[in-house]
Amino acid sequence: MKNMSMRSQVYEWDASLGTAMTVATSLGQRTSIFVGGVGNNITKPAETTATEFVVIEDIACTPTLFTWAGITDDVVVRGLLQDATTGTAGIAGPRAYVQVRINTTDYFLDPDNIPNDGIPGAASPYPRSINFQPCFNLYPDVYVLPGQVWDALITFYNAGAFVGGTAAANELMAFVKYTLYDGPDALIANKLLEMGISINPGNVDWYKRSLLQAQA
Amino acid sequence: MRSQVYEWSNLQTNANQLRRLSSDQPVQVTANREYDIFTGGIGNNITKPAETTATQFIVIEDIAASPVLSGAVQIRINTTDYFQNPDVTNMDGIPGLASPYPRGCNSTLDVTVLTATSVGSENILKSFDLYPDVYVLPGQTFQILYTTSIGTTSTSALSTEVVSAFVKYTLYDGPDALIANKLLELGVTINPNNVDWYKRSLIEQQQRSRVAAAAANGGQA
Repeated sequence: MKNMSMRSQVYEWDASLGTAMTVATSLGQRTSIFVGGVGNNITKPAETTATEFVVIEDIACTPTLFTWAGITDDVVVRGLLQDATTGTAGIAGPRAYVQVRINTTDYFLDPDNIPNDGIPGAASPYPRSINFQPCFNLYPDVYVLPGQVWDALITFYNAGAFVGGTAAANELMAFVKYTLYDGPDALIANKLLEMGISINPGNVDWYKRSLLQAQA
Repeated sequence: MRSQVYEWSNLQTNANQLRRLSSDQPVQVTANREYDIFTGGIGNNITKPAETTATQFIVIEDIAASPVLSGAVQIRINTTDYFQNPDVTNMDGIPGLASPYPRGCNSTLDVTVLTATSVGSENILKSFDLYPDVYVLPGQTFQILYTTSIGTTSTSALSTEVVSAFVKYTLYDGPDALIANKLLELGVTINPNNVDWYKRSLIEQQQRSRVAAAAANGGQA
């Protein structure tokens, strides 16, 4: 596609689309939402070319509600399925987390500097609702520099959140919102990075204006 | 600088468990006992107490807990509790009702009347914002302590409550940690914007110095 400067982009992943996810196989495993082989996928790993710059501004996944383990088997609590068997009782929803990986480095770490599962769906829910509101804001944003490969990895631990052996629609989802800077805007994004200025559309426009003013 | 979160719940397969597992089940939380969400022994834990190295600076921006069972969260830096009563005595910290996790969840798990419908009957929103933020300076140890004054109702994994706590912080590492220290000395709030501002001011200062040096050399760099 022809360069179109900067563009707001989103990617939504649903475990039930494409090759529907087998719950038992993916349980507790990290799955790429881009090329993990289950759910809707893309043709190749997400990467930036030499003339692209990506700023990840939000990530989210299906929320979880922690409840009372005595709730009857297979009831729906606030839109989330709760099982009542050992290992799933007391958890409504998939108990899902989403991690960002740049090349081979995980972004989210525990305080002991060991990579963790990522952002809980309970902290950054998708979709958002009155019942599930975010208490996490991805700020500062995550930068994917030109030539880097990036991924969003989802992990879930509650098999009781699924009606069947394979995922059904909306049972496990993930969402990424990012801005793609292309061509000259990617160069400006690199320049802003060197200057220690946050990369966002407003600052890219400011830099363009300052260049025009310098020429005038 | 990187935005980080940590979520804890009383779900475990074994005591002192480091990773979440699909076989986790709820364990009892004793009333009026402080549980360190990092190394408290129940739920998911980390390998060592949370601390900053000499080249790290942490800014805690949000803490929250399940609004059920009168749960609360406290921040402890080294041996000092951050939240205290007006008479300077100890308290449990920020109530989960004031800073709920997840945001929008229910406040009651009354086991005598609980049904799936009753869980969905209300949405607790936050009435507390952790501002100003809490700073963990290089070399300090910090704990997030969860306390419930009621305790979970049962030792059975099939009839007890699941509670959780959450902390959101920004980790400044390397040069950004040095800048964070500098901002602290200057009395400027430490946040990503101000760290960026300080970097820009350093770059501008260098540029001015170069221009002045070139002018002193008769216009030659």
